[in-house]
Amino acid sequence: MIRGAWPGVWVLRGLVILGVVLALLAGVPEGYRPSIFVVVVIVVGAVVAAFRPEYLGLSITIGLVLAWWAFELRAEMPVAALVAAAGLTVAHAAATLLSYGPPSLPVDPALALLWAMRAVMTWTAALAVWAVARAYSGHGSPTLFWLAGLAAALVGAVVVGIVASPRGEELSR
Amino acid sequence: MSDPSSRWNPTASLGRALTVGGVAVAAALALGRPALVVMAAPLLVAGAMGLLHRPTREPRVFSMLAHYQLHEGQGTRSRLEAVDLDDVEHVTRAMSPQPYVALHPTAGTLGHLLGPDSEVAPIEMSPRRWGLRIVGAQKVALTTPWAGYRWGPVALPGREMSVLPTLSHFRSGGEAPQPIGLIGAHRSRRDGDGTEFSSIRRFHAGDRLRRINWRVSLRQGILHVESTRAEEDSAVLLIVDALADYGRSEGVGRSESSLDVTIRAAAALADQYLGGGDRVSLRVLSPGGEYAGYGTGTRHLRRILTLLSRIRPGMPRDVEIDQIDFRATAGTVVVVISPMLSSALATATVRLVRRGLPVIVVDPLPSGTTPTAYADADEEVAELAWRMRLLDRNHLLAMLAAAGCPVVPWNGPRTLEEVLRRLARRGQLPRVGGA
Repeated sequence: MIRGAWPGVWVLRGLVILGVVLALLAGVPEGYRPSIFVVVVIVVGAVVAAFRPEYLGLSITIGLVLAWWAFELRAEMPVAALVAAAGLTVAHAAATLLSYGPPSLPVDPALALLWAMRAVMTWTAALAVWAVARAYSGHGSPTLFWLAGLAAALVGAVVVGIVASPRGEELSR
Repeated sequence: MSDPSSRWNPTASLGRALTVGGVAVAAALALGRPALVVMAAPLLVAGAMGLLHRPTREPRVFSMLAHYQLHEGQGTRSRLEAVDLDDVEHVTRAMSPQPYVALHPTAGTLGHLLGPDSEVAPIEMSPRRWGLRIVGAQKVALTTPWAGYRWGPVALPGREMSVLPTLSHFRSGGEAPQPIGLIGAHRSRRDGDGTEFSSIRRFHAGDRLRRINWRVSLRQGILHVESTRAEEDSAVLLIVDALADYGRSEGVGRSESSLDVTIRAAAALADQYLGGGDRVSLRVLSPGGEYAGYGTGTRHLRRILTLLSRIRPGMPRDVEIDQIDFRATAGTVVVVISPMLSSALATATVRLVRRGLPVIVVDPLPSGTTPTAYADADEEVAELAWRMRLLDRNHLLAMLAAAGCPVVPWNGPRTLEEVLRRLARRGQLPRVGGA
């Protein structure tokens, strides 16, 4: 162990930081350059989040990254959005893996593989939204109309899932 | 969101996915930023999957140890019995490290995916030092698929484990100086119904016919029989000095403190003599004043080992050492296991010697032992004080030797063999006015 944590834990911490920084800097090739101040703030937030995955640090840091993108973009749909989505997904999955136990808990390879597959799977949702947005960007219907439809479908699926859950009956038994 | 009686709670991961994803989609719709939906979509999917695997059952977990009594260096497993784990994908166990208890995995933390019919993996543990230890205290957390909900961490209490000192199972070839009992393996000075040849003598009334030596009888013209030595047991009193512990203990197989050597020596001697059919008694000089009367057999050995494992060093309460009645009858072999840093114990030992009992002092103080001083104590003063105590000790050991009490450093189960032989020979020498 290195400073009370297994090497696998340090790798995951690195992935949290790398994912957040990648999400911020994904647009650099396309001309979306954050200021040094923003980069420093995000890196500090990512480092804190990597060592405290159970706290609000990562939520705030990801929120800041999204806020920066919201100020940079208008109605565009750059490829950088997909890369940023990948970075945020990696950071979220790595932080989730870290939160399974204390730093002295070695990373279970089977669990890491499972979450890698889940990360890829969830990222395909970003790809699908991006593809749909790109496909309909030149058409009469506004892009946000389709996106709102997708979001509503997603929220609806979640609500149905919760309502259909027999949790209350099972626990009262 | 969660039932008050339930220990299932949403995880930080679920909260992050839903909060950040929801705010991002809301901002995208409000500000007209479609790219934000792309970035937040994976988080929303992960959050939705976490919600969809909302648990419906309340699991119950119990920790169990495979053994509650072990010898130092032996190992056991802490298992987790759990029911209603249908909603659980991953289990995490974190066992709190205990002094002198080795764990596997080393850090005591273990986590793995739970298959449909798979059991929770055990944590292996091995106590490294005698004594009473609380082992198996741990925290358990269960997580649903997609890490949406977590049960616990729930603290499970540990169990008290009695860690007995190690045994070498060595059988001594040394004879007891004054065997006095009725049965046993020691050769007696008296003739009797044993197996070891003593002499050929004339037939007396009461002799068994199968003892007649016909060859000698025919040659002499008078009936002669073969006599044998009786075989008797011996009473052994083990006096264990637990007034203090000197040196550093790192567990079995590593550096030993004086009390480690004392306890292991007492256990080895008790095993050795009880295995030979002798009666063994134990008297511990400690605050607990552990005592076992004379007894034989494996049950008595178990009792002695259990008493040894309960020893906590310190001065005895409400009793002066030199006033203790050690209940040693004539012929009892007294083994005092002590570093002889107490003049009161040295005086009590000399008194036993003067009663004519065969007394042996076993010195358990490891060579190079350094004093254990308080953190704020001056090192030089502590060193000087320790040297003065060692000088006192040398004086006490010389006094014991002058009184006819052999002092031997503990060197394994064979330590007493040669000393006992010498004592036995000395006991057989003719004495002027002796009994």
